[in-house]
Parts: sequence; structure tokens; C-alpha cells
Amino acid sequence: MSRPFAAASFVSLVSLASLALFAASCGGGTTSIHVFSTDWSDDRGVSMENVRTRLGGAKPTPGADVVVGVAGNADKLVGLPLTGGNKWTFAHPLDSRPLVAGAVVVGSGGGELFALDALHGTKLWARPTGGLAVHGAGDDGGVTVITLSGAGGHGSVLLAITHDGAVVRQIETDKLLGAPAVVSRIAFVPWANQYVSALDLSNGDEAGRVVLREKTSRAWTEGNSLYFGEVGIFRFDAHIKDASRNLATHVALPVRELPGAPVLMQAGGERLAPVAGATDRIRLYARPSSGDPLGIEDDRFFATYFRIVMGFEAKKGNLAWVHLHDNDVVGGDAAKGALVLCDELGKVTVLDAASGGVSATLDLGEPIKACMVQAEAFAPTSGPRTGSLAAQIAKSLESNEAQLATGNQFLLRELATLDDEAATKTLVDLAESPRAAPPLVAAARDTLASRRNGARFMVESLQKHYDFLHGQLRTPPVGPMAQALAAMNEKTAAPALADHLIDPADSEEDVKQAAAALVVLGGPGQVPQAKSFFAMYRASADGDDMTAALVSAGQVLLKYGSKDGRAIVDAALGDPLTVAAAKERLEVTLQQVELEQGGAAKPEPKGDTKPAPKPKPEPKK
Amino acid sequence: MRRISVVFAWAMGIALGLAAAHAGAQASQGAAEVKPKPKAAALPTGGTFTVTPALLQKLKSSDEAQIRAALDDLRLAGKSAQAAAPAIGDLLERGTTTALAEAALDTLGDMEAEVASERMAVYVHHRDVALRRAAVKALIRTKGPAAAKALRRALGDADPMVRGVAATGLGTLKVKDAVPELFMALENKIAEAAAAIGQLCTGTDCDQLAAKLGRLPFDVVTGGLDQILFRPTAEVSDDEKVKVIGKLRELGTQESNKFLKDVQTRWPKGGSARVRQSIDQAVLATAGGAQ
Repeated sequence: MSRPFAAASFVSLVSLASLALFAASCGGGTTSIHVFSTDWSDDRGVSMENVRTRLGGAKPTPGADVVVGVAGNADKLVGLPLTGGNKWTFAHPLDSRPLVAGAVVVGSGGGELFALDALHGTKLWARPTGGLAVHGAGDDGGVTVITLSGAGGHGSVLLAITHDGAVVRQIETDKLLGAPAVVSRIAFVPWANQYVSALDLSNGDEAGRVVLREKTSRAWTEGNSLYFGEVGIFRFDAHIKDASRNLATHVALPVRELPGAPVLMQAGGERLAPVAGATDRIRLYARPSSGDPLGIEDDRFFATYFRIVMGFEAKKGNLAWVHLHDNDVVGGDAAKGALVLCDELGKVTVLDAASGGVSATLDLGEPIKACMVQAEAFAPTSGPRTGSLAAQIAKSLESNEAQLATGNQFLLRELATLDDEAATKTLVDLAESPRAAPPLVAAARDTLASRRNGARFMVESLQKHYDFLHGQLRTPPVGPMAQALAAMNEKTAAPALADHLIDPADSEEDVKQAAAALVVLGGPGQVPQAKSFFAMYRASADGDDMTAALVSAGQVLLKYGSKDGRAIVDAALGDPLTVAAAKERLEVTLQQVELEQGGAAKPEPKGDTKPAPKPKPEPKK
Repeated sequence: MRRISVVFAWAMGIALGLAAAHAGAQASQGAAEVKPKPKAAALPTGGTFTVTPALLQKLKSSDEAQIRAALDDLRLAGKSAQAAAPAIGDLLERGTTTALAEAALDTLGDMEAEVASERMAVYVHHRDVALRRAAVKALIRTKGPAAAKALRRALGDADPMVRGVAATGLGTLKVKDAVPELFMALENKIAEAAAAIGQLCTGTDCDQLAAKLGRLPFDVVTGGLDQILFRPTAEVSDDEKVKVIGKLRELGTQESNKFLKDVQTRWPKGGSARVRQSIDQAVLATAGGAQ
């Protein structure tokens, strides 16, 4: 039921005054009774099914494929059609983020609400707002439905305005309305985070309603279909009547860890500032696929983290590609086979959904504060993949930007899951890079220990030592690599590991691991370093790591040092100056060796280069 | 502002370097180490020292006090106890406590026993920085290829004092092959490298050092130029010295004048008259120079 300004009791004088500003220039009716009422009982989808039947085969009209940027001092709009056409600009103060809906751009600022032709930037109409903030907008090619905050921030106002500026409907309510959609003059309005009401704009009646079992604050049209959602995506189809039983057609992105906890859609009932914030730089993009079952277009969803852009497999959630952008991404949209992004310098980049390769670039021509992209029918050609996933991750990790630290830590964990030698190389490079952020270095070191490939990169890295003179100021990740190399039984690593045994710049933990690895990988060639190490620390080893390293060095002497090695260990065991803790463990080791050799120590003959048997675990004390 | 910070950084380097250079100079003169020598309770009479089997036995013992006592006796005896150097080397090779290892290195340094250099060189890699410092200082005195090799490697050490002493030592030991590394060290703010280069350079190397005037702190560079000027003519020609003085004269600053005056006062009476004349003229030319 409609009535002019038959305001419900919640409408304040201020809001009446505000709304009067709309009414002064329009002849449309207003509605506020029964619409959005909470005494409604679930009709098990009957009313919404009626609406669907009434719509028949009517399909939403595809919107304009366009990029719109907020430029200047948030007082200018710049538009650029994605499929060709001239760039346009429109100067106007902005107090909230403009919205691209169907064929129009809706903006507010300077006390008025206005709409522009999205492809050309020409002004369609303007209305005074009375200070109300815009939340959402939908457009069916003829009518634009806009939701605004109520006066004083309470409740909401819904306006339906034709492209020639005539107000078709004005509804004020104490409910928080989300972002609406319009199909054939029926507005679909999410509200209270769970309902979607279908409003007949011809008479203002609520023609149908469904209750959805997932937070829903947005309705939108895309690819000739109508969708509702916020967390996930519901499709308006024959199953929408079963929504209250949670049987509506639905798709959601896989739940997985992502840097900065991005969201697919911001709540539809909130005003967005004209200038992009962190939530615009850290967000998800996905597009529902057409056909059945409902899925995600191209099996891809996308996440941005400042200038890191990531493509994921929509079904499994696996990382598929990484694109390190030149500047922070501030807006975008998932298109058919692509992701369209705009950055803070006003560059528009089209990335291939499958590969992450750049398939096209456009330019808004100036730096922007925020960006809105609508890519409904836009389907660019595919772009070439640039390098392996490991190489793409490496590029991002090399950026060494504090702002990207969380994103890069995430990527590092992803890198660790790749069974690729290049991933190992990246981890090695990162762990020994003096420029890399300490948390990343620590994470790279942790990850390296469990690698089981890329031994040649590790051995190459082990050739490096701290060297002030030549600017090598970070030691390689000796400990984790020693663990990995021992697990891989990579005997070529033994000489380099032995050299690290006596490198004072290596951490005690690294030395401990190097010594332990030498027990497995070593041979007679590593006895001299083991001997030096044993001599230097047998009477001075302090702490668990050094004691463990000393015991391992003793094991190397016993195992590969022939009679001389055994004599050194025997002498140390008989010397009161030898560190007691090490002596205790060496005695156990010696007993074990004797047991293995049939009750009497039988040192290996000199020059024996046969691979050593794997050491057995030490018996529990 | 940048200049101030650069000068400060160099000043820090010099401060560390002077300490190291002092130690190195002492070492090169055969003087005592920084730490006092033990009292001469066990010093045999007659000016010669006999390394007795009992003393060697003490070195081989497992008793910390006995080893310490033996090392004290040998250190006091200095060069005359060189016969015990292999036994002290054995001690280092089989390993001992940090304190005894340091005493052993000091003792071998005082003995100037090259025979032990190789065994001492291992301790340039010890995790205890005090032992690394002791090792490089001692190696300057024990000399030999093993010492030179260890000192070259020690230029890359993480400890500034180890690096500084190593640079000084390479000059002292006349390790001419190390000049390129010493230039690298100089560029990496190891101030002691300048003096070492001054002790070792020939021809273009000396020119290269003089060319650092105005690019590196004056005191650092002149530490090397001073060495060049006072080296025998057989090693550095008068032409080369005149060239160096010319560079200082070109600088025309108060500090170059002060340095030249100092060289003027120290110039030996029997030294080259031509160089002397060049110094005199440079002193006059730089008088009232810019600050």
C-alpha cells in the first residue's frame, strides 16, 4: 500500500524533512505499511514462487561493462568502458562510494543524489538527499532502485527512480535495507540480514518474500541471473522457494586461510567511504557461473592483498597463481575468464582467470582514490602464464615490503606445499637473504627442514659462509638444510656441512644440525673438521646445542675416523676436563658402537668410502 | 649531516682499529701482550731456558692447574722456550678449556714459534671471540704461511677487532698478495687496512691509497701514507713519495698541513733530501689551508 508521507511512527521530523526534499520534485507514491514487517510467517516460498512465475522468463538486462574511479580530491568521477569507448569524467563532490548498477552510476555528495549514464558519464538526474547516505543500488535498464540510510542513521529509505528522473516509489522503514536489485520493475531488497523482499514498484506492495539461512544483505544481477547473498551466493531460480529449508541453489567459496581475512562482499547496508580503505585492498572476487549446478565461473576465485593478487581453484581452494601488481589494487570485478582490477594509479589490468597472465591493460589516466568495476558481458582473450607458481611466489617474496609481510608469509606456506625444486630454491634464497624480513626468514628456515627435493640448491647455498669482507652478512640456513639433506641422504653435502661445523658465525642450532647430519652423510673426508671441532669444544661446550654437536662430532670420529678417531674419543672420555654432559652421551654412543661391532670396537679401516649405515636411535636412558 | 654520520662511523672504526693496531704494533715489536705476563717464579737462571720432560708432562696432564703452571713458565721464557711449542700445539690440538686455550695461544705468540702456527690457525674459527682475538694476535707473532692464510680469512670475521688485528697483521707479516683484500677491507671501514697497505704497496697500489684522500677520512688514509713515506727507498722510490706528498699538498687543508708538519719533524736526517724538500714546500703551500 502506498501513501504520500504516511510515515510510520519511527520516522522522525528530521527524516520527514529529508524525505520532503525527494517528494518536492517527484510525483511517485510512498509505501510503509506491511512492507518489511516482522510479523510475517514463512510461507514456504509460495509468495516468492509467485513472483518468479510472474516474471516468467524475464531475464535481467546485462549492465554496462565499465570501470569507474573516484579521482581528484574525491570530487571527480572518471569512467572508462571496458569494451572500448571514450573515457569520461564528471566533477561532483562525493560523500560516499559511487555505485555502478546496470547501466547507471549512482553517486551522492554536495547534498544531492545523482545518476550518470555508466558508459558515457552523462548526467541522468539529480535529487536532493537531505544528508542521507547511499548504501546500495540496482538497475534494470529503466528504473534504478537505491537504498539509503534513514535519518540519524536509523532505518532505511528506498527510492525507485526512472532514468529520466521520475520517482516511481519511495519507501521508508525502520529496518536496515541491504543493496537491492531490480528485474522488470520488481525490486528485490535484502533486509535484516536474512530476508529478501520482492517489491512491486508499480504499487509498492511486497509481492513476495523468502528467508535465507545464511547472512544475506545484497541482491544483484549478473550474466542474466539474479543473485542474493553476502557470505555465499544464492541464485533466484526454481529452488528459491525452498530457501527457508536451506534448499535454495547456493554456492560458497571454500573456507580456507587467506591473508588479511578478506570478504567476498561487504555488508549491503553500510555506506562505503568515497576513498578506498584496507577492506578494498584486501578482498575476494568471484563470479557465479551460469548453468547447473551453480558454481564459480572458471573454477576461480581471487584474493587481493594490497598489491598481491592470487587466483585460487574455486572447488578445492588451492592456490593456482600469483600476480604481484605494481601498485595497490583498490577495486575490481570477476569477469568471464578474467579478473579486472584497478590500482591506485588508475591503471586497469585484466588478468586471465586460469593463468593470472596479463591479457589487457587500460588506463583511467590519473591516480584514483577508489574504483568500481562492473564486468558483466566482458570476456577478454586469455593472457599468457608468466612462470611457474613457485616463480610467481618467489617474485612476491622478493618484494620485501613490510606491508606485504602477512601476504608473503601466507605465500611462503603455500610454497612449502609445492613439490617443486624451484620452491626449494626460493626458500633457500629467502632464508639467506639479508634483505628479507625476519619473520619470513624464520618461516623459510622452518619450511626448508621438511623439503625433500632441491638438494643441489642446498649444497650450493652451503658453500657460502659469513664474510664481512665480501658483504655476505647472513649465514645460510645451515640447520634446516642439514636436516633436509640428511633425510635425502645427500652425501655430496658432507664437505660443505663439515666446513660449517667450524664456522663461528653459524648459530649453535645450525652447528648442532650440521654435526648431526654429518653422522649420516659424512665419511673419512670430514674427519679433519670433526677433529678440530671436537678439540675446540670438548672442554668448553656450553648449552644443549653445542653439547649435542660435540657428541655428533664424536660419533663422526668413531664412525669414520678409524683408530685415530677412536683414540681421540677415548682420550676425551678419560680427561676430566671434557664436558661432563657430553662425556655421558659419548660413553653411551661408544657402547652402542661396540655392540654394533660385536662387543669390541672395530674401527673402520682408513680410506673406506663405503656409505655408512644409517644410525640407529640412541637408547633411552 | 651525512658527512657527520660518515665521520662518526669511521671514528668508531678508528677507535676499534687503534686498539687493534696498538695490539698489533706491540706484537710486531715483540712486546708483551695486553694481558700481564705471569710472575717469573719459575724462570731458570742463566738467561737460557731448558724445556724439561717434567714441564712437557705437565702440559700433557689432565690437571688444569698443572697445565696453567707450565704455560706460565713457558710464556715467561718466551722465544727461548720454543722447544716446547709442539707440545703446546698438541694441547691445542687435543683441546682444552677456553681459559687454557687462550693461555696457550698467548704463550705461543710470546714464543714466536712458527711451528705452531698451523695448529693455532684453527682457533681463528673458534666461537669464542676472545679466543679468535687471541689467535690472530698470536699468529702475527708466530708468522708463517699458515698465519698469513688465517689472517687473510680473518678479515671477513664478524668481530671488528679480529678484522682490525688481522689487517694490521697482514701488513706486519708483509703479505703482499693480500693488498687487494686490504683495499676491500678499507672500503668496508676496516681502518687498520690503510696502514697495512702503506706497509705493502708498490707503484699503483700506493697511488690508489693516496687517491683515497678526500674520499675516506683523512686520519685513516694518512695512517697508510705515513707508512709509505717512511719506507726505505728500495721499497718505495722517492718519486712515489714525492707523488704522495703532492696529493697531500693538493688537498691544501689544515689537517694536511698538520700531518705534513709532523712528517717534517720526523723526517730522518739522513733521509732523501729531495723528499725532504718536497715536504718543506708542501708544508709552506698548505699553511693557512682550508679547514
